[in-house]
Amino acid sequence: MKNSALASTSLLVPAFLRGFSSQKIYNSRTGRNLVVVQLSGGNDGLNTIVPYRNDIYYRSRPTLGIKTDQVLTVSDQLGFHPALAPLRSLYDQGLMSIINSVGYPNPDRSHFRSMDIWHTASDSNQYLSTGWIGRYLDSACPKDQPHYALEVDDSLSLAMKGHQRSGFAMSNPNALKKTTDNRFLQAVAQHHDHHDHDEVAYLYKTMIDTQSSADYLFKQSKVHRSKGSYPRTPFAKDLKQIAELITADTDTRIYYLSLGGFDTHINQGNQQQRLLKTYAEAMAAFVEDLKSNGLLDDTLILTFSEFGRRVSQNASNGTDHGTANNLFLMGGQLRQPGFFNGAPNLSKLDKGDLIYEIDFRQIYATILEDWLDCPAQGVLPGSFEKLALV
Amino acid sequence: MERNTLQIRHLFLRAGFGLSPGEWQRWKLASLEQAVEHLFSEAANAKQLQLTTENGLTEADKKERRKADRKLLMRQNADWVAHMASGTSNALLEKMSLFWHGHFACIQRQPKLAAQQLRTIRQHALGSFRDLVHAISKDPAMIRFLNNQQNKKAKPNENFARELMELFTIGRGNYTEQDIKEAARAFTGWSSTLLGKYKFRRRQHDFGPKVFMGHKGRFNGDEIIDIILEQPATARFIVRKIYRYFVNEQIDEARVEQLAETFYADDYHIGRLMRRIFTSSWFYAPVNIGRKIKSPIELMVGIMRTLQVEFDSSLTLIFIEKALGQILFRPPNVAGWPGGKSWIDNSSLMLRLNLVGYLFQATDVNFRTKAEFEAPKRNKAMKKIKAEVNLQPLLNQFSNYKYSELVAAMSTYLLPPSSSIDPDWLRQFTANGHAEDQVKSVCLRLMSLPEYQLC
Repeated sequence: MKNSALASTSLLVPAFLRGFSSQKIYNSRTGRNLVVVQLSGGNDGLNTIVPYRNDIYYRSRPTLGIKTDQVLTVSDQLGFHPALAPLRSLYDQGLMSIINSVGYPNPDRSHFRSMDIWHTASDSNQYLSTGWIGRYLDSACPKDQPHYALEVDDSLSLAMKGHQRSGFAMSNPNALKKTTDNRFLQAVAQHHDHHDHDEVAYLYKTMIDTQSSADYLFKQSKVHRSKGSYPRTPFAKDLKQIAELITADTDTRIYYLSLGGFDTHINQGNQQQRLLKTYAEAMAAFVEDLKSNGLLDDTLILTFSEFGRRVSQNASNGTDHGTANNLFLMGGQLRQPGFFNGAPNLSKLDKGDLIYEIDFRQIYATILEDWLDCPAQGVLPGSFEKLALV
Repeated sequence: MERNTLQIRHLFLRAGFGLSPGEWQRWKLASLEQAVEHLFSEAANAKQLQLTTENGLTEADKKERRKADRKLLMRQNADWVAHMASGTSNALLEKMSLFWHGHFACIQRQPKLAAQQLRTIRQHALGSFRDLVHAISKDPAMIRFLNNQQNKKAKPNENFARELMELFTIGRGNYTEQDIKEAARAFTGWSSTLLGKYKFRRRQHDFGPKVFMGHKGRFNGDEIIDIILEQPATARFIVRKIYRYFVNEQIDEARVEQLAETFYADDYHIGRLMRRIFTSSWFYAPVNIGRKIKSPIELMVGIMRTLQVEFDSSLTLIFIEKALGQILFRPPNVAGWPGGKSWIDNSSLMLRLNLVGYLFQATDVNFRTKAEFEAPKRNKAMKKIKAEVNLQPLLNQFSNYKYSELVAAMSTYLLPPSSSIDPDWLRQFTANGHAEDQVKSVCLRLMSLPEYQLC
């Protein structure tokens, strides 16, 4: 099995894949990885990183506020939601940066639109059909590989779509292999010779790339079995798969995955508690796993949500769509672990919502230039001041 | 392939959704003039499209109503697609309506308003673009989607005015920020009632003088639209978009300029513009044939017409739309679906290539779409595509051919002209023996080719 899958399509395999040996050398990588975690639905940042000394917080959230004695205090102003306990040790080891009040001008409170804005890095009155990672793939910076950016899902997010190149969607290597193990389509890939126009060539290229990437990723997924102890949630399973691929020195540098369910309009307490627990336990296991393989210095993990929620709770023991939010970075090379900036200002709101201090595109610009070594200009629409993050 | 047959195929694919096997038989040898005439007269005599708008709930709480409305929107979506696919549809009218549906992109929440907007679009789809813009600017779904409910004299909201110019009529670079501010004032008070009727709220309207695109006056919204339509740049913007959608993603500037001049001189008559396109010899030039990547709706409706597909539930159809990236009544944003190569990534392409195989129940799908933002959990993966396929019309057309001729004949029907399939090579992947099995397996193979994604 080892080589046969590749051998049968060897003529079609792009040059970078040819001559691959299945013997991989661990922990000798030079490339850096970026892992993007999307919390879909709008995570309530104020109950995630709790301003437990702030009276306005408790006045605005008489039943929903996290009680002072339950908060895991990490600074004299801010503390973690109790469900984030597994992240406490990451914080203490300097492996986590928390950036408060991240947003953009004229915020949109619709899930779709705000997620669009985060994916495309557009202004709020601008419509782009490509995402920031997709445009990074379009740039000359990354190697031209179909699976250079991988989304752990069956379908691809807008963030991952570029003009010329796109990321690669794969929920798991076995399932992907099934969709490409089509004897007919494999033969078609070998049989075709020339294409008289761009569109048909593009379709064939995408098909052949998918077939060879599916073979490659399937093989890579068998190289390393993680010894880390992950919780038994689908989200943790996705992260484990990413850790295994990273450890196997896979030619993928960007990973993207999502955890949904954060739209907590009604009875937020239990729902958010459950989700944050899922998030924190899995992330702690993931970081630990990478660390034990000496890969944490090569990895940066970004966690974001499309918006935060209103400062005041609503009448259903929940919170409605808001604006600015906190964002997490994790990894071994953070320049400013702990809190990057101060707590959000609850006494100066815009119609009941937080006012952003840091444009999320400043964070993208920093990641592009300081982590991925790629000029942000051309990838981001406009120029954004970098921050001392990595 | 005979030149005329090739042109007929091209016409019906672009002006509609391709031909069912029966229609293929009827039209493949007809003259182009006849075919164009047929498309337009069919559209002119079209009946209204009846979409269900009642969710059946009289007194229900908000949450239940919202859930019922979401279901109903899916049903309307499926009904419209089924209509596009039906043998009695007005292909040109539906295709044109689908174009405007993407042009005046509006995320719908209320089934009643969605049906109303689609009615407005269908009414003007081949009529006057001027009437269409005026009607859309008074359309309650659009008014709500672009926040014109909140556009009041004391505090104007610029959203509608901005998109009207940037996306619906003239395009960027042809107006100033000041023009947007002035136009927004002219649309103040353009609102809708709770029941979903247009309402002009006089007390919220700014009757003061405005300066817009060099004109001075106490303009209202209608006058603003007419000033925008006075600009030849508007005709150019619309023609460019129509050209990219119906002719070629690669713009032929001289051609577009010519068409735009006539479109402008013809006071924005859409039907006559389309007729001009479909009767031009350049429309049938090889460079314009088989070069467009089908949108998910075009792909599905085409398959449904060829294989007489009936889905067991609208959920199945919506699943495919979602997995392929085009849900009717739910464009990604006000800019609509970007189209072209952006339809294709590794996931959507493999699903497209395997789709007919899934319909024939050859293999399992096992595809999980992304969950709604409001949903607490991941979606369940779709295991199988449950649908009925009726091959009889296809068999009627093709079961009398010998194998090598069968491959050629079906290729002519299903694939762009440049894709030559070697029957001897294909034989290893198709059934031998019984004619029915042969037709079915050749059809499955041809419809699984990357070339089938093109029109």
